[in-house]
Amino acid sequence: MKKEFVCIVCPNSCRITAEYDGWEIKHIEGAQCKKGEEFIRNEIKNPLRIFTGSVKCKNGNYQLVSVKTNKPIPKKYMKQVAQKTHELVLEAPVEIGQVIISDILGQHADLVATRKVKEKN
Amino acid sequence: MKKNTEDRFDVIVIGAGVVGCSIARELSRFKVKVAVLEKESDVGWGSSCRNSGVIHAGFNNKPGTLMAKYCVEGNQKFHSIAQELDVPFKKTGKLVVAKKNNEITGLKKLKRQGELNGVKNLEIIGEQEIKKLEPNVRGVAALLSPETAITSPYLYTIALAENALKNGVRFYLNTEVENIKKKTSGEFFLKTQNKQFIADYLINSTGVYCDEIARMAGIDCYRIYPCRGEYYVLDKNASSLMNHLIYPVPHIEEGGLGIHLTPTVDGNVLIGPSNEYIDINKRNDYAVTMEVLFKLCKEAQEFLPAISPRYFIRNYAGIRSKQTPPSQGGYKDYVIEESEEAPNMISLIGIESPGLTAAYPIAKKVVSMIDQKEKLTPNPHFNPYRKGILRFEEQDDETKKELVEENSDYGEVICRCEQVTKKEILEAIDNPLGARSLISIKYRSRAMMGRCQGGYCQTRILELLKEKYNYNWNDFLLRGSGSYMLTGNRSNGEPGI
Amino acid sequence: MINKDVVIIGGGAAGLAAAVACREKGIEDILIIERESNLGGILKQCIHDGFGLIKFQHSYTGPEYAQKYIDQVQEHGIEFLLDSMVIDITSQKVLTVVNKSGLKKYRAKSIILAMGCRERTRGAIGIPGTRPAGIYTAGVAQNLINIHNYMIGKEVVILGSGDIGLIMARRLMLEGAIVKMVLELLPYGSGLPRNFNQCLADYDIPLHLNHTVIDIKGQKRIEAITMAKVDSKGKVIESTCQEISCDTLLLSVGLIPENELSKMAGIQLDPLTGGALVDEYGQTTINGIFTCGNVLQVHDIVDNVSLEAEHIANGVERYLSSLLKPKNSIKIEIGPGLRYVLPQHIQYLDDTVFSFRVKKPGNKKQIIFRNDNRIIKKKSFIRVNPAEMIRIKLTSSELSDIKHLKVELN
Repeated sequence: MKKEFVCIVCPNSCRITAEYDGWEIKHIEGAQCKKGEEFIRNEIKNPLRIFTGSVKCKNGNYQLVSVKTNKPIPKKYMKQVAQKTHELVLEAPVEIGQVIISDILGQHADLVATRKVKEKN
Repeated sequence: MKKNTEDRFDVIVIGAGVVGCSIARELSRFKVKVAVLEKESDVGWGSSCRNSGVIHAGFNNKPGTLMAKYCVEGNQKFHSIAQELDVPFKKTGKLVVAKKNNEITGLKKLKRQGELNGVKNLEIIGEQEIKKLEPNVRGVAALLSPETAITSPYLYTIALAENALKNGVRFYLNTEVENIKKKTSGEFFLKTQNKQFIADYLINSTGVYCDEIARMAGIDCYRIYPCRGEYYVLDKNASSLMNHLIYPVPHIEEGGLGIHLTPTVDGNVLIGPSNEYIDINKRNDYAVTMEVLFKLCKEAQEFLPAISPRYFIRNYAGIRSKQTPPSQGGYKDYVIEESEEAPNMISLIGIESPGLTAAYPIAKKVVSMIDQKEKLTPNPHFNPYRKGILRFEEQDDETKKELVEENSDYGEVICRCEQVTKKEILEAIDNPLGARSLISIKYRSRAMMGRCQGGYCQTRILELLKEKYNYNWNDFLLRGSGSYMLTGNRSNGEPGI
Repeated sequence: MINKDVVIIGGGAAGLAAAVACREKGIEDILIIERESNLGGILKQCIHDGFGLIKFQHSYTGPEYAQKYIDQVQEHGIEFLLDSMVIDITSQKVLTVVNKSGLKKYRAKSIILAMGCRERTRGAIGIPGTRPAGIYTAGVAQNLINIHNYMIGKEVVILGSGDIGLIMARRLMLEGAIVKMVLELLPYGSGLPRNFNQCLADYDIPLHLNHTVIDIKGQKRIEAITMAKVDSKGKVIESTCQEISCDTLLLSVGLIPENELSKMAGIQLDPLTGGALVDEYGQTTINGIFTCGNVLQVHDIVDNVSLEAEHIANGVERYLSSLLKPKNSIKIEIGPGLRYVLPQHIQYLDDTVFSFRVKKPGNKKQIIFRNDNRIIKKKSFIRVNPAEMIRIKLTSSELSDIKHLKVELN
């Protein structure tokens, strides 16, 4: 099978053409870097994405702490992770990188804070 | 069983447009118990906030008509009313511009008509003088009317209502009259969704709905043909393109004054209105249409070639309450009368342009009709003065400095385009009529009215409402009930279903 | 009157990077004026990732990217004012600033304008129809959802395929709304290609190119829009009109540099960019007033904003040391196929980064810098796309003894 992909790894947005049979890649063309090839391998086998979202936060200078998974997770789990973010309430202060949920949904990635939230004065 | 409360008034005014609010204010000069019923969530949301904001001089109307008489009188009185009510008023003057020589006779006719009506200082000027007054405008001759002025039609309506309220008039917003019955005692019985009212006198000042309300009271002789006018609002940057109101020579059969350019008191420019009759069942349809927007731009460019779509910041439409059908066009004079079918009910029919200018004389007329029958007693406590919201932007640096020192809310600029401070927005939110839709706050404060259309300040205003009134997501309304802005909290921090 | 060496208007990506770069060049007396309660500008609400790949070779979210600069501003002890609005600015570099503590005037030796941009609205593009609730620009929606914890609708149509619109399509889907479609007037998307993939394709959201909204229905809350196909001239094809029910219309139809203060100061603007006319140091038509970031030109990638801001700091430093001496003013000529080129003119012939956008997408293209017939620099591209700003650096040696400079797309 032959398919064109748009790489999402960086703003270059390389158009990468891949020929593959099942999960086995026969030929890759158009990637400007190694990361692009890796992206295609995953895209064919098990597409991975970074999840980003936000979690409610009490007593802070922001109402929401923005969060992300610190590693890409299978794209099929995105909505489930989103659901998790709706069910949580954090308490300020929160630091960037603070783990909110470790090993989220057993996907070997932690949900971490991406916003510094100070206590409301 | 649902329990309804009944409220009894000497006079009930149906419709809180500029005319209804003027009548309410004029009545409050007397010892009369008055209520104003309005179906919308604020005053002035019909034609009163959907026009050019012009205080006409009075040369467009046929001599001898009420339109002509009230327009001239209203123009002459407006300055003092605006001062009493702290409403913006600018005597910019108007040019009716002939694009071709064959339109000059039209100008002369207008001038003669105006003079018959009692309009002062009309003058026909040539191409050279047009260039001097308006370097960007194209035309061969023009009628210059220095008496023509502009105001803020919604601030005027709000001011009238606030002053009436202060002088004892009761306002019922979100109160649509569903049924009118004349009791054997001669009193009127009005049914609305939540409340019932009883009144000795009824004033029908419902604009484009006047025939419907009349019919509820058993009067079936009025016909209204709604006629929509669409507008573009231009960025303040366009205000340097012109100084006067710029009008074409009107074609009377069209029933409008032609697409014109009007500076607003806030420094924007309006293009419009168009003139399209619409279906009677669509008289609340304020939609703008693609064809007309295109036409507005094209016709405006004929006078002012510098006009371009890059100035556009918003569009809107208003609906004229016309008594003449499309086949006939033109104007039919205002009807202000008490009909035999419903004694003590005063109908105001076909109050289209120049209704804003004429509102005051119309109100005087209505009050005199009641006074003739009832010999009204003056209200010794009547106070004609009302203060508007102080505009931070319009003050000099020294005053601005003092204002911030006095109240630090003046130091927080919430709307950057119009430079509206937190203090002004809080005053707008806290308005005496209790209208808290975003549009109500916008009309009162000018926040969200600028070139970014609330892109920056809208979320901040929602926060202020939340802080002050503890608003939940479902309390935020754009324009009255049903116009909800949000559909929920993103997260309540609770497990989903 | 308070004197300052450098006043920076705006504490977003551009302002923060400019402040840090100025300090690192040894400028002590810097003041950042920010109108919001927190530094970071629009990055605060851009909670998605993909920021920093050029600058840091790492993908950060907006708040993380901003925090990197906020930390540096604080480490350097750079002075900043929050909740403060510049309400006036003169050509003499006097600024009037208002905040809760009062109204103050500042006299700056140099000013950096970094006010960012605003979104084009419904009124500006003149969409016909009624004016009910439920019509939001994508950025306002992003703010309401990501900062204020509100949901803005359940059934959404998006007009315009700008990046914020695409990012919001995904956000809305993840937050439980349904995005029915994205309509784009042009025959190609306006956002970055990767966003069409990870924001639309991932969530099966259809993108309709050559389509627009020609009517809005609903009196109180929006109930439906009418979509229609347009021909190659942008004219609506009546037979393709179709009503789509929705309770929300999101607009992602372009950004406009916010140059109201620049105009107040009397700075000349370029109608092609909506930003100021500048030289190679981002210096405007008023000496000592510089500009960078989205107020100069709308960027697609924040990394380029930071780089641009860092570059102009060189100019600010030289200006303050009176080392900014024009050699030869050369106006840059824009060849066919390009929408604009920045800077519009160069006058010092130092190393210069040119940035520009093409008019329409193309494959196998070349950008050529030419001094009359002599080619100074040539760069090849597999693809070019109006959504992707191109930046090319010319060194001072490449620019030496040129008389005329033209940039072409071939």
